Amino acid sequence: MTRRTILPIAALLLIGGLALFQYSRRLQEYRSDQFLMDTLISITVYGKNQELLRKAVAAAYAEMRRIAELADGFPQPGTAAWRNSDICRINDQAGKAPVHVDNDTVAMLLLAQKYTRLSNGAFDVTVGPLMELWGFGGKNPHLPSPEQISEALKLVSSEDVIVNEQDRTVFLRRTGMKLDLGAVAKGYATEKAARILVQHGIDKALIDAGGNIRVIGRNSRNSPWQIGIKDPRKSDAIVAILPLVDTSAVTSADYYRAFEEQGKRYHHILNPRTGYPATHTISTTVITKDAGLADILSTVFFVLPADKSLELAATIPGVELFLVTADRLIRHSATLPGTIEVLKGETYRYDQR
Amino acid sequence: MTRGDKYLLAGLLLLSLVSFAALYSRFSPFSGSTKVTQAVISLQGNVIRKISLPLTGRSSFTVQGLVGSSTVEVEGERVRMQEAPCAGRICVNQGWIRHPGQSIACVPGEILIRIEGTTPLDGVTR
Repeated sequence: MTRRTILPIAALLLIGGLALFQYSRRLQEYRSDQFLMDTLISITVYGKNQELLRKAVAAAYAEMRRIAELADGFPQPGTAAWRNSDICRINDQAGKAPVHVDNDTVAMLLLAQKYTRLSNGAFDVTVGPLMELWGFGGKNPHLPSPEQISEALKLVSSEDVIVNEQDRTVFLRRTGMKLDLGAVAKGYATEKAARILVQHGIDKALIDAGGNIRVIGRNSRNSPWQIGIKDPRKSDAIVAILPLVDTSAVTSADYYRAFEEQGKRYHHILNPRTGYPATHTISTTVITKDAGLADILSTVFFVLPADKSLELAATIPGVELFLVTADRLIRHSATLPGTIEVLKGETYRYDQR
Repeated sequence: MTRGDKYLLAGLLLLSLVSFAALYSRFSPFSGSTKVTQAVISLQGNVIRKISLPLTGRSSFTVQGLVGSSTVEVEGERVRMQEAPCAGRICVNQGWIRHPGQSIACVPGEILIRIEGTTPLDGVTR
């Protein structure tokens, strides 16, 4: 072999090496599903190193599990799960004494109180007695009597939740009060998990917490994540496609945890002011960076009338709203990206204001 | 350069081209277009069954979940949870799904039905 042939061979080896190097740098996918917080949580991450991806996802789940335990309202008294639950301990001491809690419990309650005030009580974490009365969360939800509802409503009062940030204590002033973080904890935990992924250097991820979506960066094709909004009346259809980057989309709707009694359908999102399921809207989706805020606001906007919701959404920076009203009208914030695709089909009308 | 050298060079060139092609097709997880649509059923995080969609005709089978046996039904290009042993039956009430990215979860039984495949959708908020 002459010298002249060595050169091209070296060049070929170099190309081969580069190909291998490129391959090792290619994006890999890692996906994991876990049943947590009464739902299925799926985390999909992309990166160069499987081991790092696996570690990041494990850390994210650990954090979600920790928040889930703090906020769990259902364990049996006397169990370890009950002692680990700040919510159980706070409820147990209602009308008696302040309870020392985790930083995250304080943060969740302060966030909740802020939006209780902003929405004039359309959302309230003290709906516990009402939820219990209706039996949502248990096996046999049923329609309570009007008298029972007005009794339970007396215990719905965020003003009687005393959160002491310095001492990290929470006190329910009245006996019988009960916190329910059902509209807060999942979103809050999702946001914490997203931040943990970012801390682990993840720049492409999708967390699907029972339909609460939080995305990091862009998808594996380097485009915005394409997230569908479920059609509230047709299970295998969607009503819109949202292109999302570094944000979250959370939906509250009337099609889960519902039951029928005397020919009428009742679902689990109660209006804390009336004690009955909210009826203005059948599906609301909030798009905003923080999944914790999105979770709370999706409930707020589900309970308020559509006009009021769109008006209020427009006053909160970085918050966008998509909703389907009870009379099957699709409406959304004017600021939603022009790239949103609305698929109204024959079921809905679309108000493009 | 001798004739042998030329053959050697041509051989190496071919090899490198082939390895490039191999790396970028087979090992690329995002080539996507070759991925078929399938219903993936898993129990406690482990895949127990995969069914290519669409299915000719219909088929149903039971899955032993943590709280009893559930029945999954596949018909054409859609899938649903037909029967569930729990009281809530959220999964059954969810009805049919057909689009990649959609899923049905039986939380107490820890059963998950997912539709995978090429899709414009990365997920669905619900």
